[in-house]
Amino acid sequence: MLEAMGSGAFSLAMAKPSELPSIEDFLPPEILFQGTPFAMNRIILVRFVAMVIILLVLGITAARAKLIPSRWQGAIEWVIEFIRDSVVYDTLGEIRGKRYVPMITTIFLTILVFNLCGIVPGMNIAATATITMPLVFAIWTFCQYMVTGFREQGVWGYFKSELFPAGVPWPLYIILTPIQLLEMVIVKPASLTIRLFANMIAGHLLVAVSLAFTQFYIIEAGNKSLALAGVGWFALGFALTAFEIFVAALQAYIFAILTTVYISMSYPEEG
Amino acid sequence: MYALAADKGIQLFIPQLYDIVWSLVILVILAVFFYKFFMPKFQAIFDERSSKIEGNIQKAAKAREEADQARKQYQDQLGKARVEASQIRDDARAEASRIVADARTRAETEANQITENAQRSLKSQQQQALVSLKGEVGTLATALAGKILGSQLQDDAVQSSMIDSIIADQGGQPSDKRQA
Repeated sequence: MLEAMGSGAFSLAMAKPSELPSIEDFLPPEILFQGTPFAMNRIILVRFVAMVIILLVLGITAARAKLIPSRWQGAIEWVIEFIRDSVVYDTLGEIRGKRYVPMITTIFLTILVFNLCGIVPGMNIAATATITMPLVFAIWTFCQYMVTGFREQGVWGYFKSELFPAGVPWPLYIILTPIQLLEMVIVKPASLTIRLFANMIAGHLLVAVSLAFTQFYIIEAGNKSLALAGVGWFALGFALTAFEIFVAALQAYIFAILTTVYISMSYPEEG
Repeated sequence: MYALAADKGIQLFIPQLYDIVWSLVILVILAVFFYKFFMPKFQAIFDERSSKIEGNIQKAAKAREEADQARKQYQDQLGKARVEASQIRDDARAEASRIVADARTRAETEANQITENAQRSLKSQQQQALVSLKGEVGTLATALAGKILGSQLQDDAVQSSMIDSIIADQGGQPSDKRQA
């Protein structure tokens, strides 16, 4: 396993870092309640910590919220207004969008904080870095756009407009309908899920590999002339960490806006 | 090694039951937090703020309206006052010219009267002078003539006709007067 990763990443080096990241990082051992449905591992603990941070920070902010905002409250309000105006209202319009604002805000802020756990020292792994958390969000999105479709067009009307789109010659339905069904039930939630957690896994691996090589060249390798290479690896790790912050925000934004778009597609087409 | 990696790799895509349970628990807690506390709280803040701003805008609009009204009233009054002032000025000017005209008329009348009086008194004085002169001249002439002619002119009729002729010789007027 280490060999595979190490030689692939840096074939010139004869020796390998003692600790390279692997997919084991994302399948941590259960540390509490082993073998029960309530077993906990490292990533779940990270999630709990992130959840408590959200509850405390945003809870205190909301509890102390005043009419004339402080700097911090202003920043939080900016985020809320950004989600409301730029994500929800721009896609759905104000009248339709109003009821989805809390959902999209929940999704955006939670995913953002969970993603950012990946670069917090001590956590070092995104709370969204296993398939389950993004999947749960995606299922929520799925339920929401199904419910919206049923409410706006009726159960039959929704399926009809989705699976048998108007204006298509009927023989095409033989191909189109299964694709549409697949899209509605599998592709949309799965793409949401995989995009998010694959990004987090890739980001974690990149950062961790860079830092593992930094550690290796500067400390573990005896040859001091190789320290310069370690500096290079550290610079790369630094840049990738900064990039991870960007990706964390970007993925949260993408998840939020796609959820909004999927919901808007459940509304009957106008005109 | 590769087989093991591939074997484990697929596990990344298989959700564990406990993972689902905890993810759901966390999501529900966070959703409840956002739906029941966080969003309503900030929504209330936003609403309150916008209503306050709206109220202030309305208040400002009302104040401006009042100010406009007051200004209009003031301008109306000012205009009215201007009109009144000019009217008063016109009246005053008319009055003044009337007074001046009156004064002038009166003055002219008075002047005329004075002139007339003067002329009249002049005339009467002239008359008086003439009469007294006539008497005196008569007396003087009589005396003179008496002295010259001696007692030839004792007769009154001769005396009078002689005086008349003397006066007629001097100017024509007394003889006219006498005729009238």
